[in-house]
Amino acid sequence: MTGNTKPVTVPEKQPLILGNQTFKSVTDKISGIVEAKTPKEWYLAFAIAFFGMLLLLGSIGFLVWDGVGIWGLNNPVAWGWAIVNFVFWVGIGHAGTLISAILFLFRQKWRTSINRFAEAMTIFAVICALMFPGIHIGRIWLIYYFFPVPNQMGMWPNFRSPLLWDFFAVGTYFTVSLLFWYTGMIPDLATFRDRAKTRARKIIFGIMSLGWRGGNRQWQHYELAYLVLAGLSTPLVLSVHSVVSTDFATSLVPGWHTTIFPPYFVAGAIFSGFAMVMTLAIIARRFYGLEHFITTQHFDKMAKIMLLTGSIVGYAYATEFFIAWYSGSDYEGFTFINRAFGPYAWAYWIMITCNVIVPQFFWSGKLRRNIAFLFVASILVNVGMWFERFVIVVSSLSRDYLPSSWDYYSPTFWDIITFIGSFGLFFTFFLLFLRFLPMISMSEVKAILPQADPHNSEGHE
Amino acid sequence: MSKELKNIPSSGKEYWRSLEQRVKAPETEAFPHREFPEGTAEHGATFSRRNFLSLMGASLALAGLTSCRRPVEKIIPYVIAPEEIIPGIPLYYATTMPFGTEAIGLVVENHEGRPTKLEGNPKHPQSLGKANVFAQAAILDLYDPDRSQSVLYRGEERSWSEFLAAWKELIKEYESSDGEGLAILSEPFASPTLARLKKAFLRRFPKARWAAYEPVNDENIFSGVNMAIGEIGRPVYHCTEARVILALDSDFLQLEHDNIRNAAGFADGRRVITRDDEMNRLYVVESAMTVTGGMADHRYRLQSRQIGAFTAALALELTTRGLPVDGVESLDAYKNHPFDEKWLGALADDLIKNTGRSLVVAGRRQPAEVHALVLAINSALKNINRTVEYYPIGDTEAARQEDLVSLVQAADSGDVTALVILGGNPVYNTPVDLAFREALEKITHTVHLSTHVDETSGYVEWHIPEAHFLECWGDVQTPDGVLSIVQPQIEPLFGGKSKAEVLAAVSTGDDRSGYDLVRETWQSILTGTDFNRQWRRILHDGVYDGSKVKPSRVEIRSQKLATALDKKPFPTDTAGLNSMEIVYQVSNSVYDGRFANNGWLQELPDPVTKLTWDNAIVMSRRTAQELGVKNEDLVTLQHRGRTLQLPVWILPGHADYSISVELGYGREAVGRIGNGVGGNVYTLRRSNAPGFDIGVSIQSTGKNYLLACTQDHHGLDVEKLARESIRDRLPIIVREATLEEYRENGEFVHEIVEPPPKVSMWKEIKYDERPQWGMTIDLNVCTGCNACTIACQSENNIPVVGKEEVRLGREMHWMRLDRYYSGDPDDPEMVHQPVSCQQCEMAPCEQVCPVAATTHTKDGLNGMTYNRCVGTRYCANNCPYKVRRFNFYNYAKGWPEIVQMVRNPDVTVRFRGVMEKCTYCVQRIALGKIAAKKENREIRDGEVVSACQQTCPTDAIVFGDILDPNSKIFKVKQQNRRYELLEELNIRPRTSFLAKLRNPNPDLKQTQNPKD
Repeated sequence: MTGNTKPVTVPEKQPLILGNQTFKSVTDKISGIVEAKTPKEWYLAFAIAFFGMLLLLGSIGFLVWDGVGIWGLNNPVAWGWAIVNFVFWVGIGHAGTLISAILFLFRQKWRTSINRFAEAMTIFAVICALMFPGIHIGRIWLIYYFFPVPNQMGMWPNFRSPLLWDFFAVGTYFTVSLLFWYTGMIPDLATFRDRAKTRARKIIFGIMSLGWRGGNRQWQHYELAYLVLAGLSTPLVLSVHSVVSTDFATSLVPGWHTTIFPPYFVAGAIFSGFAMVMTLAIIARRFYGLEHFITTQHFDKMAKIMLLTGSIVGYAYATEFFIAWYSGSDYEGFTFINRAFGPYAWAYWIMITCNVIVPQFFWSGKLRRNIAFLFVASILVNVGMWFERFVIVVSSLSRDYLPSSWDYYSPTFWDIITFIGSFGLFFTFFLLFLRFLPMISMSEVKAILPQADPHNSEGHE
Repeated sequence: MSKELKNIPSSGKEYWRSLEQRVKAPETEAFPHREFPEGTAEHGATFSRRNFLSLMGASLALAGLTSCRRPVEKIIPYVIAPEEIIPGIPLYYATTMPFGTEAIGLVVENHEGRPTKLEGNPKHPQSLGKANVFAQAAILDLYDPDRSQSVLYRGEERSWSEFLAAWKELIKEYESSDGEGLAILSEPFASPTLARLKKAFLRRFPKARWAAYEPVNDENIFSGVNMAIGEIGRPVYHCTEARVILALDSDFLQLEHDNIRNAAGFADGRRVITRDDEMNRLYVVESAMTVTGGMADHRYRLQSRQIGAFTAALALELTTRGLPVDGVESLDAYKNHPFDEKWLGALADDLIKNTGRSLVVAGRRQPAEVHALVLAINSALKNINRTVEYYPIGDTEAARQEDLVSLVQAADSGDVTALVILGGNPVYNTPVDLAFREALEKITHTVHLSTHVDETSGYVEWHIPEAHFLECWGDVQTPDGVLSIVQPQIEPLFGGKSKAEVLAAVSTGDDRSGYDLVRETWQSILTGTDFNRQWRRILHDGVYDGSKVKPSRVEIRSQKLATALDKKPFPTDTAGLNSMEIVYQVSNSVYDGRFANNGWLQELPDPVTKLTWDNAIVMSRRTAQELGVKNEDLVTLQHRGRTLQLPVWILPGHADYSISVELGYGREAVGRIGNGVGGNVYTLRRSNAPGFDIGVSIQSTGKNYLLACTQDHHGLDVEKLARESIRDRLPIIVREATLEEYRENGEFVHEIVEPPPKVSMWKEIKYDERPQWGMTIDLNVCTGCNACTIACQSENNIPVVGKEEVRLGREMHWMRLDRYYSGDPDDPEMVHQPVSCQQCEMAPCEQVCPVAATTHTKDGLNGMTYNRCVGTRYCANNCPYKVRRFNFYNYAKGWPEIVQMVRNPDVTVRFRGVMEKCTYCVQRIALGKIAAKKENREIRDGEVVSACQQTCPTDAIVFGDILDPNSKIFKVKQQNRRYELLEELNIRPRTSFLAKLRNPNPDLKQTQNPKD
């Protein structure tokens, strides 16, 4: 560009944060949410979520007491809603780290407004996810057989089993995500500590902010640590759902035994994760008046990612069908035709509608900025993504090789209650997060304000 | 008797009852329902809770006393004869199961005085070392906690001696009147002791009435034979010798008399090892699809009522073709028949071609005239004494309905004042038009011996608990006269009495032990010098070798036969939609209702419909369509003024406008398993038409009734998509060809599917160290009889889960029988494929288990470590055969202690949350290994047999060391019909199948797929 004498007309960039925010106004706004009196609506929401969590605990209690027979599982379909929910929640848990890590590495500044609560969402979603494989086993009190620890039996777990890989992959992902989330929060926690008026707040935030002073050297270390964690997390975003997909892909069940699963699952996970972020962001933005921080531009960008990943998912559906036919395997071929036209066709078409058709509306810029539309679409996408897992897990199992074993699966009351309860658990955590922790990263938002760049480095390039 | 004691669980009770029985102290005799002999208990008459608890503690401490449950009389171990019992090592004793007028010779596995498993006795001619479902399941009945526990007088507990005293008083009157007014209604029996006692009874009371009744019996066969040869005779078939067999409404491989022997012989005549082997041909004419119909090479579906006319048409056809059949001159009325001429002609030709090597059998449901005509046909075909022999009935007590009818009439008119019912449940199962219950209520003194306090027991004066055959002495005779002894394995658990004991007591008022009664009979049977030596020999062997009798000389009395046939006994018209045919079927599970409280049998899928825990109205698809009903619709059946509500089940291959209903369901007073299961079809069954009738109409109630079917109705009325897929994959799953095709191309099995190259991603384990276990199942001789399923359930402590769980698809059978149809949906062929764990060498289940609970053993088993299993169920998902079974609940919990006694101590009882499956009876392999190791040798071929193999009447299952070149399994695996199920997955299953063959008549080739 240096040799070019003609001035380049750069289109006026829309600012990411609106409302002529200053450093102080950002701090006041975000800290104010936490420091203000708890709104009544929060109590109401929390009561509902907490009730949901109690339902979950109750249903788990009954499950342990009576056995997994309380679910609708049967002989061909030995995995039902529990595993569907597991994959569903792990998928949701993808957006947070993707936004924090990958978008960070790609210098996508718009991420700063949503990364914090996307990360929080990730942590809570992964907690919900991890719970399901734990409770779905027949003898939950022997779950330590999974752990590779020395024991009197002299037994290792079976390292050839994808379930064990799962256990490591999701566990690692959870640990790294938690560290990443916490590290990113340290400067904001220090802000809280500095603004604290009560002794309790001072002590708690004092401990949590790990002695942050905001000095130059601290910032240097901090940014390096953040970069390293982002680097560590990036492959995890891709690996965790790839490994989850091997639960299915390494088996020999027609409809599971598919090499496309790892990329297809990752794309699906990002798709559903963004949908969930969008749903939550729309609610939080509205309720806490964060329209200046989370702008239509953010939604526009998220919708574009969803359009991409949704299209990848749609492409994967098509590829599965093509390969099922192209492979010449009768079993494989039947499984896919059966998905679309067999007894679970209703689930299949819900999935197609929500996952393939709905995101296509995002080609329209108008709709990408229409908050009401986005809200509905994001919920539909999550419904669709749940059904995707349902279709994969249940319809494949219900009709596999020998027709004599074919059977239909339907969930019971307890299946449904456990799933609803998992939302209770998720929202309980999430509401606590909204109430007590900075839901938007103040330090990072400040860094993208015009004031943080007084020399307008971009403009001078 | 104190109140507290009545409330204690029966299990605790039994411990002590055994002790008391063992002690046999006179004071306990006086109080047989009393739990503790004097001195063991407190002196006072009542028990406090505290005393009771301390006694329970003592019972635990004295747990060893359970071994005292061995009978006191000498019984002789069958296979191993140690001086003393070695704990943990079972003993094997021979005994015999009386079943109607038949005898199934058994060997009982007895663990320290506790029988746990029944197997056929190889020396016994009617079981040949095999057992059917009923014999396999009979062990569970022994431990049925709902069995009657005490003598009852009008529902109140009494003792046996009180009954004796009362009866002694009563018969004084009858002694003076020669038994006027005294009557006995017995179950049929083939027992020398009972026959002797009957004679003694009638000598004492010459004017007493005697009737024998059983709802399912061979009376028609006996009268038919009588009609033809003027002597009651029983046919015994030699199916092995027959090249062509025609079954007329006869499920002779499954539910007719002598079914074990028939199935074994049939399989021997069908087994093909090389392409040059001969194979028999089976024609079946029947209304409902049966196990026998499934084995047919040609099946002609026909209403049961038309079978007589069909038989007549066949006789005419044979005569036309130069083989005169006796009595045919009376059959002119059947010349214009509606049956397929070509089919009939081809059949007649085939029979004639195989004169002396063919066999025609008719079912017990068919009237006597059919059996007479069948005898005449067999005689014309020179089959008699070649493929069928007729044996004199001797002193076998057969059911005679006219005796029952006259007994009821006499009771109605007040001519019967005392009735003793020796077994059976007449209030439940006698023909409804006889109104047996009302007649019974008119009789002043009634005594009923039965295993349960059942429907009849509620209307009698005295109820006496009947002992199980494993609890009492007795004797029994096969149709060809071979005698054997019923040897008890355990003291009566509930103080039951045998028929012989009760009959002796009824005759004389004296209490005689069954042992003495049987020995007394045998004193006259055994003619050798040393009675005790001979006696011990018979107990040891289970049969009396020299007792087989000669068959009757068959000389047809043409005149008598012609007279009978002149009456035009066979209807020729077809029943229509407005007046449909009803056919009373014997249940494959509960038989005539006697096994209604047997959980194993209730949960056993019917071999054809795959229904459990219910009976249904079974009908053809067209009938259902025209009636506008579908599966599980609850409908009202109307038959001659009586109604019954039952659900509908559509069965491919059923005759149109005919419905089949199974007897034996709808029990009201049998116990917690059987009460209220299904509907009672006896409430429709009339004395003039016990086999089938017309005049049935069906109305929909608009309600649904959910049935528990273990295999969906796929392939026929499911959506097109599934139907087509099943059609495509079935030839790969169940490989089948005609004999002709097989002869042309011996390798057809391997050309059905082209397996992809079998490349492994890792270094494979060689498995070249002996032994390596393997199995083959010959689909060509497997009839689908279900015996393997029950044998496996008994051997491996497999739980019963109940109807709701079966409905959810959670049945636990390790060995299941997959039933598939092929061909025309209205008139299909049926095949069965037994599937249990295939023990894949590269097992997909093993790879995915995260905790290594399922791993491969050195000898090639896919082992299960139940202790290690946490229940992820991943293995079940990854099993392409879906043979893994999961304990969704703690199914083993809540069994009464007495039922737990049936469990095999060599097999772990699985807890909830644990996966389980077949392991080729690894406990039996372990025993074989130990025995071999002790003698420092290799395991011999045939030393280890799996439970399914041992009981299989057709020897379809072969098991052994596949590396032993001299073993049977090695040779069977060399056969070119061998294939592995889903071999294209490269998982190397150890179980192989031998392809099924059918042997259709070349003359019938074109009509294979007829019109509609």
